[in-house]
Amino acid sequence: MKLAWQNIVHDRARFSVTVLGVSFAVFLMVFQGSLLVGFLRAASRLIDASDSDIWITARGVQAFEFGTPIESRVREMAAGVPGVLETSRVCMAFAVYRTPNGKQQVVALVGADRNVGKRFPVPDVPGSAEGMSPDAVLYDVSDRDLIQVTALPAQVEVNRHRASIEHQIEGYGAFLGVPFLFTSYRNATRYMGFGPEEAMYVLLRVDSGYSTSHVQQDLRQRLPEVDVLTRNEFARKSRTYWTIKTGAGGAILTAALLGFLIGLVVVSQTIFANTMENIEEYATLKALGASQAFVARIVLTQALICGAVGSILGLLAVVPSIGYAKSLIPWIYTPWWLLLVMVVPSLAMCALASIASVRSALTVEPGRVFRA
Amino acid sequence: MPNHFLGVEGASVSFGKREAQVRALRDVSESFERGTLSLVMGPSGSGKTTLLSLLGCLLSPDEGTVFVDGVEVNGLSEAERTVVRQKKISFVFQAFRLFHSLSAIDNVALGFELRDAALPGRKEMARDLLVRFGLGDKLNQEPNELSPGEKQRVAIARALAGNPPILLADEPTASLDAQAGRNICQILRSQVDDDGRTVVVVSHDPRWREFADRTINLCDGQVEQEEKNL
Repeated sequence: MKLAWQNIVHDRARFSVTVLGVSFAVFLMVFQGSLLVGFLRAASRLIDASDSDIWITARGVQAFEFGTPIESRVREMAAGVPGVLETSRVCMAFAVYRTPNGKQQVVALVGADRNVGKRFPVPDVPGSAEGMSPDAVLYDVSDRDLIQVTALPAQVEVNRHRASIEHQIEGYGAFLGVPFLFTSYRNATRYMGFGPEEAMYVLLRVDSGYSTSHVQQDLRQRLPEVDVLTRNEFARKSRTYWTIKTGAGGAILTAALLGFLIGLVVVSQTIFANTMENIEEYATLKALGASQAFVARIVLTQALICGAVGSILGLLAVVPSIGYAKSLIPWIYTPWWLLLVMVVPSLAMCALASIASVRSALTVEPGRVFRA
Repeated sequence: MPNHFLGVEGASVSFGKREAQVRALRDVSESFERGTLSLVMGPSGSGKTTLLSLLGCLLSPDEGTVFVDGVEVNGLSEAERTVVRQKKISFVFQAFRLFHSLSAIDNVALGFELRDAALPGRKEMARDLLVRFGLGDKLNQEPNELSPGEKQRVAIARALAGNPPILLADEPTASLDAQAGRNICQILRSQVDDDGRTVVVVSHDPRWREFADRTINLCDGQVEQEEKNL
């Protein structure tokens, strides 16, 4: 297979173009893949951050961001179902936020009880920053420009109520351009104007001796007017809504697919040109007794070498780029497996791109060797 | 029907269709004995290269029979004919047809690999062949760094890799100067005398008469004249 390697190294310009094509495709696929994974993660981030096993929502709620009120008695009724260990509440609504310098901004205000879960960004959770008042408001550091807070604590207004921003957190930045603010449930209902008979999300923890699905079935029978979903079901529903029903996921997937297709065309074209340029050598090989498999292996090896080198360069370029992109798109996320997984389609792309070339090399007539 | 070591019996080959059809060979019967150097001459279009293609299993006749190493090869599939070429036949071309990205030694080593991929010590054997042809100082040169005479010697070394019994040469001296051409004639003659190979040379070059055992003259796809030289 030295011939395969030497052929591509010998024509460095063409090799560079092929490798660049693969790198570009890998870069685009990994970048778009990171956007998609990050988007999916962000779409259910708050649901996943809770410790609850079951979420009760109003009928037909598609995503966490679009909850509608339910009666607060649902919480009391749910608490009485066998197997329910603990209940907590979460609410979310869009609110008008007035910055310290008087500018107005729409924010997504999230309130939660302190027992919602240790990872859920809410003040006064055991283990959270000390010296914070129970009604403090938190914001994500990536939204600093939108929130326009220069020093903490900062006195601001949320829906014309005085609020105190006391702490900044990380990992819960805006993914729809609207920053999140987090506060206690009690505080949030005050800002939102919820009555005592209203709730939005009731979260349940199931006793370890009970099956979550059995408790879920029981709740569904007792509370037919609401949706009873496991945490994973609600997270999936929320992700499906944002990625499929809004078309955002489709756009990201399309861009990733385009990256694949562009890479395919570039690699296919350059490998085909390389094969045609060396077609006389393939004829010579066949005349000298090379089998079809030997000839095909040379073309395929060339394609895979280009794929491997291009993939490595693409990955080397995309990792720092995504690091930089995080400052602009805080929810972009690249899991380690995505880097590995993307090598497979890029090699498949190169193999696919070499089909036309393999065909040409295999069908070349060995008798042409006598033409000077 | 006689059983030749290498040869054709009543072979006819046509190219093209209907009015554009050209009969390249017409009912040609020729036998090439083991351990001889045969020269095939004739004007352009006389069918020399077509005959060589038949003997090299690169082409099948429309009619007639082709024998290689005493075996009839007409009915063989493309894959089977590839195996016959791999085991029995090697070629030397006017345009050398070396692999441009490989060094001289790698070109010859590839010749060994094509005949037997599992053969150990291919590079050492390639070196020995090149040294034998006076190219010991050109082992790592690429074809574009070699003179035409040197290229042809590398091509012959590659053809001899794996020790095939039949060597078919198409105008092997056409691109060479007088001295280099004579050198190639001597090398191919030595393949017959020293190693008992069967060599068929197609050429316009009259110098070959001196080195050939016999000369076959083709004209319009038929054997016009046949003469013994040595």
